[in-house]
Amino acid sequence: MQRYFRLVLFAAVMLVVLAIPVAAVLARSYFLAPTAQPVKAQPIQFPHQVHVQGMGLDCTFCHRGATTSAQATIPALEFCMNCHKIVPWEGRPDLERLVEAFQSGQTIQWNKVHQLPDHVHFVHAVHLNFGFQCADCHGDVGSMGKPGVKQVRDLRMGDCLTCHQQNGARTDCSVCHY
Amino acid sequence: MRRREFLKLAATSATGAVLFTGCGSIGDANPEHEFKIESPVRNPNDLLYGRDNWYATAAPLSIGGYGIIVRVFEGRAKKVEGNPDFPVNLGRSCAKAQALVQEVYHPDRIGGPLRLAGQRGSGQFQVIEWEEALGQVADLIRQAPDSTLLITEPLNGALGAIVEQFVQTTGIQHASLEPDERVVLREAMRRVFGVDTLPTLDLANARFLLSFSADFLHTWISPVQFARAYGAFRQGRPDVRGTYYHVGPRLSGTAANADRWFPVRPGAEGLVALSMAQVMLEEGLVEGEGAEPFFQALGLTPEQLGADFAPDRVADAAGLTAEQIRELAHAFAEQRPSVAIAGTSAAATTNGLFNLAAVFALNYLVGSVNSEGGLILNPASPLPDELPANRGGDPYSQWVNIAQQIAGGQIRTVLVHRANPVYSLPPASGIQDALRGAGSVVSFSSFLDETTMLADLVLPDHTALEQWGLVVPEPGPGFEIVAIQQPVVNPFVNTRAFGDVLIQIASQLGQALPWPSQEAAVRALADGLRGLGRGNVEAEQPNEYFVTMQTQGGWWDEEARAEEASPQAPTAPANPEFAGDPGQFPFYLLPFPSDSLGYGEFSHLPWLQALPEPVSTNVWGTWVELNPRTAQDIGVETGDVVRVVTPQGSAELPVYVNPAAMPDVLSVPMGQGHKAYGRYAEGRGVNPLELVAPQAERETGALAWVATRCRLELTGRRMRIARFEGQFPAFQLEEFPIIQVTRPRT
Repeated sequence: MQRYFRLVLFAAVMLVVLAIPVAAVLARSYFLAPTAQPVKAQPIQFPHQVHVQGMGLDCTFCHRGATTSAQATIPALEFCMNCHKIVPWEGRPDLERLVEAFQSGQTIQWNKVHQLPDHVHFVHAVHLNFGFQCADCHGDVGSMGKPGVKQVRDLRMGDCLTCHQQNGARTDCSVCHY
Repeated sequence: MRRREFLKLAATSATGAVLFTGCGSIGDANPEHEFKIESPVRNPNDLLYGRDNWYATAAPLSIGGYGIIVRVFEGRAKKVEGNPDFPVNLGRSCAKAQALVQEVYHPDRIGGPLRLAGQRGSGQFQVIEWEEALGQVADLIRQAPDSTLLITEPLNGALGAIVEQFVQTTGIQHASLEPDERVVLREAMRRVFGVDTLPTLDLANARFLLSFSADFLHTWISPVQFARAYGAFRQGRPDVRGTYYHVGPRLSGTAANADRWFPVRPGAEGLVALSMAQVMLEEGLVEGEGAEPFFQALGLTPEQLGADFAPDRVADAAGLTAEQIRELAHAFAEQRPSVAIAGTSAAATTNGLFNLAAVFALNYLVGSVNSEGGLILNPASPLPDELPANRGGDPYSQWVNIAQQIAGGQIRTVLVHRANPVYSLPPASGIQDALRGAGSVVSFSSFLDETTMLADLVLPDHTALEQWGLVVPEPGPGFEIVAIQQPVVNPFVNTRAFGDVLIQIASQLGQALPWPSQEAAVRALADGLRGLGRGNVEAEQPNEYFVTMQTQGGWWDEEARAEEASPQAPTAPANPEFAGDPGQFPFYLLPFPSDSLGYGEFSHLPWLQALPEPVSTNVWGTWVELNPRTAQDIGVETGDVVRVVTPQGSAELPVYVNPAAMPDVLSVPMGQGHKAYGRYAEGRGVNPLELVAPQAERETGALAWVATRCRLELTGRRMRIARFEGQFPAFQLEEFPIIQVTRPRT
């Protein structure tokens, strides 16, 4: 036993050391703790509050695909500029960024807040047509201001299944995994 | 190093690697990539992320010009299918159409206008601006319009109209290049039936099909249309299964579908057809009224037919027995409606026109011309003046003239669009040397093919999926039809549509064409169809009419059919001639168009390179098919490299032993042997046209590429043929015996 002690000790230390990065990866994993994520930094500090509460816009005014397709879709910059060409932007860094991106033909790469894995097919249109509100899953985005949007609902498979059962929706695998 | 040190080092580096991985990226170099979502800059009104759109357009004319639909996903063409509404193909498509998307995103596609930056043929080009390129071409034409030659593939419809206008207003010359067997077929149609269009077959209602070498399921004029009809012929009726016999020197993929195959000597197809006619008339198997046009088409009298073409007299020359010829005649005359066609190698012998005339005239005898279950002739274009029909290609003899004129300086500037004469014409034509010495060569190709390599200027054209067009499908489905081609994606690189380029050049020359752009020409001509007041598109307003036509994929009128046909000029019987002394060159060389690569115009697309030839399952190469007994006699087997020697040249090719090959016929696929044309085509295999003696078809002057004899020499080397089938020995299971293919007992 004495003979193998050092080897076993070495192996145990190695396991602990190897476990550290694994734990580090898991702990910051979106998929293990979706709602415990910090608010993500975005290239433009877009205030939903101003547009929804201040202007009274409906979610689907900008996220036009939500009622007709799988994706809610992010509006094109051209769409933002419909209004922002008459909103003064000088001295407002976020708006300057928008106008500059539009004028130079650069796309804006947002950080996704709600992230489903590729093997899950979520169709926005079906859920909205059934009668759900955007806020049922996304929370009160309309009151989220400059810091950005935060995920408020778990949105893992258990969450989906519970909601499907409560509302009498199908729960076989191929509903989402197809 | 001691064990302890080694362990330490290994543990440290492993830990370090794991730690760095853990702290670093997930997946690719940018860990956050999959967690991004993009705001596009512009907002196309029909673009929805995650949603596909299907647009109807037309396949290029060279593969039939039929209707296709293309799946477009976020601005990229993803998949091509047949247009289910389009009468020619009813939803079917071919591999060549499927591969069109590869042409759009090809890595070797020319990205914009180029100017030669070194020696001609060096392949060194520099990128220039469109305006500069257009100006230079306009200058070339301005200097000497009458010594400028435009070479295109056969064009019709909108692009044909633009080219015709351009040629008329600028006064340049124009020549069309197409496979020579089609030149012969067009002439046969003119002589036997008096029509300028190619025919179709009402196979869905036929009971018997007799094909003389025509590879109608894979390469002959409109394989998609015929393959669909063939399905209906075989399986579409509950009580009738059509019977198909094939007469020809090679068991092609098409012939392999036949109920019976009658191997005949190359070029003997016409002889067999006449002999069949003799049997049918002598035995009274057919009614008398078809005999008159039959004899007119061949310029024969019944006495001559009886005296010279009785089965016993021609059997030996044809390579069949007299009994087999009688059997064919009975099958053809008794199982009606029956239809006979001829093409591919039958048209490519020195007596090709006679072969086709004799076979197509058989349809008169059984009353199968323009009747149910027979050969259906196509009407001309619905707008004959505005929308020109195919003017057809120029024969080989004309190309030899052209090469001499270029070499002699009568033609100084050569413009080439969608044609590759340096590859498609045999070296004996002299076109390559002529172009090398020509004053200026301008290419409109999207790829650096052999001809474009000799160009001084390259003004790349859009691919088929990026441009507007109206195409008259060739052959049509038996009634008037026009397919509309629309851009399904934006141009991927800095190219311009050929029609637009011609219009812009003309305006630089101060001669405006009737339309400001190719799109405008398409819209104007489509409106001409509206003016006819008939057809499938029901709409009053011009814009609504055009949009409806776009969604349906074209315009057609099932009532507008060809009128009665009658022979226009006789074609006298002739025997095939072969270059090379039979003693010295014992074999016939039989090149055949490749099922996927055609005549080499599709060799740049890897999907088509990788598509197995249906009989041998060979891919990505050239081979020579050999009968097993012949192979045994000379001591070679599959994979041995032999030298095929003809009076014209020689090439080294691997042997593929094919049990269905005729003993004295060596078949070699066309399509490979490119010296340029992108990474997938270049330096692969052999172009059999380099082996072919420059023999011309007697009456049309077309190249007879089945008119050369050859011999084999051993090289002692071996190579592995890239092949799907037979690479591994079959695995013997006790309960399932391996089926052996053997020679039938005679």
